[in-house]
Amino acid sequence: MLSILVQKELKNILLSPKFFATFLVCSILILISVFIGINEYKNSVVQFETNQLIAQQDVEQASSWMQVRNIAHRKPTPMQIFVSGLHFDVGRLSGISTFNDVKLVRSPYSDETLFAIFRFIDFAFIVQVVLSLFAILFTYDAINGERENGTLKLAFSNPVSRVQYLFAKFTGTWLGLIVPLLIPILIGLLLLILSGVPVTSSDWISIGSLIALSLLYITFFIGIGLFISAITRKSSLSFLLLLVIWISGVLILPRMGVMAAGQLVSIESVAQLEAKQEAFERARWEDYSAEISETWQARNQEMEGMDEDERRAYRDEKEWEWLEVDDAARKRVQSDIIENNRMLMEESQNKKKVQEQLAFNLARISPVSSFRLAAMNLAGTDIDLKRRYEESMRRYKDDFTEFTQKKQAESGNSGGFRIEVDSNEGVKLDFGRNDQTLDTSEMPQYSAPIVQAGTTLGNSILDFGLLIVFIIATFGGSFLAFLRYDMR
Amino acid sequence: MNNETIKQAPLLEARNLTKVYEDGVKALDNLQLRVHPGEIFAMLGGNGAGKTTTINLFLDFIQPTSGHAFINGIDANADPLEAKKNVAFVSENVQLYPNFTAMQNVDFFVRLGGRHQYKRSDYEAALVRVGLQREAFDKKLKDFSKGMRQKCGIAIAILKDAPAILLDEPTSGLDPKAGKEFTRLVGDLRDEGKAILMSTHDIFRAKEISDHVGILNGGVLVAQKTNAELKGVNLEQLYVEYMAGYMEETLETGPLTNNLT
Repeated sequence: MLSILVQKELKNILLSPKFFATFLVCSILILISVFIGINEYKNSVVQFETNQLIAQQDVEQASSWMQVRNIAHRKPTPMQIFVSGLHFDVGRLSGISTFNDVKLVRSPYSDETLFAIFRFIDFAFIVQVVLSLFAILFTYDAINGERENGTLKLAFSNPVSRVQYLFAKFTGTWLGLIVPLLIPILIGLLLLILSGVPVTSSDWISIGSLIALSLLYITFFIGIGLFISAITRKSSLSFLLLLVIWISGVLILPRMGVMAAGQLVSIESVAQLEAKQEAFERARWEDYSAEISETWQARNQEMEGMDEDERRAYRDEKEWEWLEVDDAARKRVQSDIIENNRMLMEESQNKKKVQEQLAFNLARISPVSSFRLAAMNLAGTDIDLKRRYEESMRRYKDDFTEFTQKKQAESGNSGGFRIEVDSNEGVKLDFGRNDQTLDTSEMPQYSAPIVQAGTTLGNSILDFGLLIVFIIATFGGSFLAFLRYDMR
Repeated sequence: MNNETIKQAPLLEARNLTKVYEDGVKALDNLQLRVHPGEIFAMLGGNGAGKTTTINLFLDFIQPTSGHAFINGIDANADPLEAKKNVAFVSENVQLYPNFTAMQNVDFFVRLGGRHQYKRSDYEAALVRVGLQREAFDKKLKDFSKGMRQKCGIAIAILKDAPAILLDEPTSGLDPKAGKEFTRLVGDLRDEGKAILMSTHDIFRAKEISDHVGILNGGVLVAQKTNAELKGVNLEQLYVEYMAGYMEETLETGPLTNNLT
C-alpha cells in the first residue's frame, strides 16, 4: 500500500510543471554557481601564490633582518565554492613584523566592491533560499489541495491508513525534491574533479556533510509545508501562511536574533577600543614624563651646592645607574601599555564572544540559522575564520620575530638607518645594506590553519541536532493534525 | 430484486446512526437503514437533509455521535480499513489526478482498493463498459469533462469489485444521456449482486431504478418505501410534502417508515 502511494506521489510530482520548473531553476543555479565558484577559487589560488612570491621577494630585498616585514596570506579553500560564508568579507592578508600586531586586511569585497552589492550565489544560498521556497511550493497544498480536489475522499474510501498516507506524501515529495538538488550537485562535483581543484578527503567529508545538512533542511520545509497544509482547509490560506513563515524564517528571524544580541550585549567598536588604548597610552606617557621630570628634579637637588666640575663628575658616576632607572621606568610604561591593550582586547573579545553566542542562539529560533551556521562551519568559512587566521598568524609572527632577531644577532648589523639631508641631493636614506639579498631559505613559512572535517562536524553538531528536532516537531505536528483532519 | 437475496444479511446497515456536529447541528438522527445484496437504496432529500453525512459516516470520514454504520457486518468506524475493503465510492463530482491519464488514475485507485491482479486489458474493458471512448484512455484527466470523469469513477468502483457501493449524487450535473447511461450501469451492478446506497436529488431516476426509496429531512428518515409501494404513488408529490414539513399529516395516512427489511 505504501509503495503504491509513494509511487503515485512521486509520479504526480515528476509529471507536474512545478517539478520541471524546480529542476530547471536548481540545475541552472547550482551548475552556474559551482562553475563560477571554481573559477573564483582558481583565481584566488593564482592571486595567493603570486602574492606569496612577491612577499618572499620583498623579504629577500630587505636591507637587514631588522627591517624584514613579511606578509601572511589567507589560503583559499575549495569549500568556499559551496559555502562562501565570510570568505569574501574577511581580509586576505596581514603584515607580519616585530612592531605591528596582526590584522587581516583587504577582503575580496573591499577590493572589488561591485561584487559586494549583489553577492555570490553559492550552493548554501541556493538551498537556503531557493530550495526552501520550492519545498513550500511542493507541499502547501499536499493535504488541503487534495481535499479541495476531491481526491482525498476518493483515496480514503479505500483501506488506506492516515499514517501511511502522510508518510507516503512526505516520501514522495522528498524524493521529488531531492532530484532537482542531487542531480545538479553531482554534476557540479564531477565538474569540480575534472577542473583539477585539489579536494582533500577532509573536504569530501565536509561536502558529504553539507549535502546531508541540505537534505535535513529541505526535510524541515517539507515538514512545515505538510503541517500547515494539514491544519488548514484551503490551499490559498496555507500558501499565505507558509509564505509568511518562509519570509520570517529565512529573511527576518536570523537578522532579528543578531540585532537583539547587539542591543542586549553592547560592545565597543574598534574605533572606541583604539581610542581607549590611545588614551591610556597618552596618560601613561604623561605620567612617565612627570615621573622623569620629578626624578630629574630630585637628581638636580642631589647636586645642589656642587660646582660645575663636581656636578659633571657626579653625573658621570651616576649616569649608568640613572639610565637604568629611566629605562626601567620606560619599560614599565611600555609593559603597562601592552598589558592594558591586551586586557582591553581580551575584554572586548570576550564580550564579542558572548554577543556572538547570544546572537547565534537567538537566531537559532529559525532553522534557517542552524542551516547557515552549520554550513559555514562545515566549509570553514564561519565566524571563526578571521579569529583562526589571526591567531595562527600571531603564532607565526612570534616564530618569525624570533627568527629575524636571531638572524639579526648573527649578522651583527644594527639594523638602523641614517638620514642625510643635503642642500644639493635632498633627503637620502641609507640603510647601510649591501647589495646581497637576504638568505630566506631557513625563514619559517606561514602555513594556513588546517581545520579537519571532524572538528567542523563537531562544531556543527548542535545545528544538525536542532534541525532534527525541528523536523521531528513539524512531522509530529503534521501527523497529529492529519489524524484529526476532516476529510470532507 | 431477487427474493433469495433479501434473506441475506445486509451489506450496508445504519443502526441508530446519529451525528451531531460540534456547532450543535444535528445532521442525522437515529437513522435506520439496510441495503441487501442486489438492492439499490436511494436517499432523497434537500440540501442538509443528511444524505452526504450518512455516506461520510459509512466511509469513516466523520465519527458518529451514536449508533453504528456497518459494511458487510463490519463497523465502519471501529474497523474502517477492514470495512472499506468491502465498499466502493463514487462522489458527486469525481476528481482524479489531472496530470495522470485515465488509465494511470484507474490503475492507482484500483490498486489502492487492494486489487492488484488486473492487466491493462481489464482496465480497458471496464472503461469501455462505462462508455469511455478508447482514444481518451491515455489522455490526461485535465482535459476530461465531468461526464468522462464520472465514467472513470464508476470504472474504478467496478474494478474494485466491492460488494457494496456508495454513490453520492452521482448523476448531479450530468447531461440526460450521460445520466441515463450511468443509471443503466448502476442497474447492471445491482443485477450483479451489489448493494448500492445512493444519495440523489433526482426523484424520477430514483423511482426508476431503486428497490427502496428513503426520504431524509433534517437528518431524519421521514419516509421509506419499496419500489412496489411506489407504484401508482406520485413520488414527487410525496417528496414535496415531506420536504415541506407535512410529515404528520402524511404519517396519518399510512405507515411509511416501517419498511425495514
